[in-house]
Amino acid sequence: MAGRSMNDIKAHIKSVESTRQITKAMELVATSKLRRAKEKAERSRPYFEVIRSAIDIIDASSEAKGSVWSAKSDGGPGLLIVIAGDRGLAGGYNSNIFKLAASLYNEGDIVLPIGKKALEHYRHRGTPIFSDSFEYADDVSVGRALDISRLIATGYKNGEFKRVTLVYTKFVSMLTQLPQSVNLLPFNNEESKTDFKENDILFEGDPEEMLDKIVPQYIGGVLASAVSESLASESGARRTAMNAANKNATEMIDSLMLSYNRARQAVITQEITEIVSGSEAL
Amino acid sequence: MRTFQLEIVTPDGSAYRGEAESLLVRTDDGDVEILAGHADYLATLATGRARIRTSTGDRIGALSGGFISVDKKSVKLVATTFEFADEIDINRARAAKERAEEALTRAKNDRDILLAKAKLKRAISRISVAENNHK
Repeated sequence: MAGRSMNDIKAHIKSVESTRQITKAMELVATSKLRRAKEKAERSRPYFEVIRSAIDIIDASSEAKGSVWSAKSDGGPGLLIVIAGDRGLAGGYNSNIFKLAASLYNEGDIVLPIGKKALEHYRHRGTPIFSDSFEYADDVSVGRALDISRLIATGYKNGEFKRVTLVYTKFVSMLTQLPQSVNLLPFNNEESKTDFKENDILFEGDPEEMLDKIVPQYIGGVLASAVSESLASESGARRTAMNAANKNATEMIDSLMLSYNRARQAVITQEITEIVSGSEAL
Repeated sequence: MRTFQLEIVTPDGSAYRGEAESLLVRTDDGDVEILAGHADYLATLATGRARIRTSTGDRIGALSGGFISVDKKSVKLVATTFEFADEIDINRARAAKERAEEALTRAKNDRDILLAKAKLKRAISRISVAENNHK
C-alpha cells in the first residue's frame, strides 16, 4: 500500500468490480443453460446404452462376423471425432478433451472436429480434417448427426479409415465432467464384451443391407447423445470456473478495500499531525 | 399371458420401458409381431405404426426408422422418432404434411426428393396413428 495512492487503488477496485460483474453474469447464464443441457443429456442416455448393447449382440452374431463393420483392423488411418465447446472460459473443459484426443491420435489419423474450439484447434495444427461442417456444437441436431454418420459409414466402408473413435466429455455431475473415448467402429470393443457368446440371430433380410442401415443409425445416435453430454459438461465446467473467478474477485476487492482504507487513514493522520504541529509552532 | 421386457428408445429419451405381451411393428419386410420367448432376431424398421399390447390394453405409436433387436433378456426397439398416439400433435403433423408436399413439388435433385418423401411419410404415419386413436 505504501507508494500507492488512494486513486490508484480506487481505479484497481473498479476494474476488478467490472470483471466480477462479467463473470457473475456468465455464471448465471451457464447455470440456466446447465439445467436444460443436463436434462437433455439425461434423456438421451438410455438410447446410448441400449444401442450400444444392441450392437454388442449384433457383433456376436455369426451373420455379422464376416462383415466390414466387425472385422478387426490392423493399422491404417483412423477417424477421431472430437467434441469440444464453442467458447472458451470454461476452465479445463476444452484443454482436457484435447489432451485425451492427443493421446489417442496416431500419425495419419483424420479428425472430425465438432464445436468451434475443436475446429480452430485442429486447423491451427494442420491436422487433416474430415469435415468442417460442424462449427458449432450448439446446433448439432439428431438429423444433422445422422447426416454426418452416413458420411462416416460410407468412408469407413470404402476403407478411407479403419477405426472410428469418439472423444467427448461425459457429464457425471454438476462438479465433475469426465473426458472419455468410445470406440465406435469396428464393433468389437473389448471393454463392453460381457457375457455375449457367439449367437445365431435371425436376420430379417440381407445382413449386409441391414447393417448398412443400422450402422449410420448407431453412429448418429451415439454422436447426438455424446454432443448432449458434452454441452452439459461445458456448461458445468464454465459454471465452476466462473464461480471460482467470482470468489477470487471478491477476495481481491476485499484486500484492495483494506489497502484503500489504510491509505485513507494514513492521509488523515498525516493531515492531523501537520495541523497540530503547525498550531504548536504559532 | 407371458410377457417380455420391452425397451423403446429414441435420441430424445426412453419412450417406453416395461413389460409387454406383444409388440407389432412394421419392418422393412412387412409387419412382424413379437411375443415372449421369440428367437434372437434383428430387423430394420420402416416408417409406420407400432402396437404394444400390455395386460392393461393396447398402445399405438408412430415410429420412423431404426431397428429392433430381440435377445433372451429383452426386446430393444431403437427408433429415430417414436411417439405414442396421445402424444402426437395432430395440427403440427398436418402442417408438416403440407410443408413436405410443397417441398416435394419444389425438389430439384434426388436427395431433396428423398428427404421430402421421408418427411411426408412420417407426417402421414403420425396423422393416421393419431386419428385412429381418437375413433
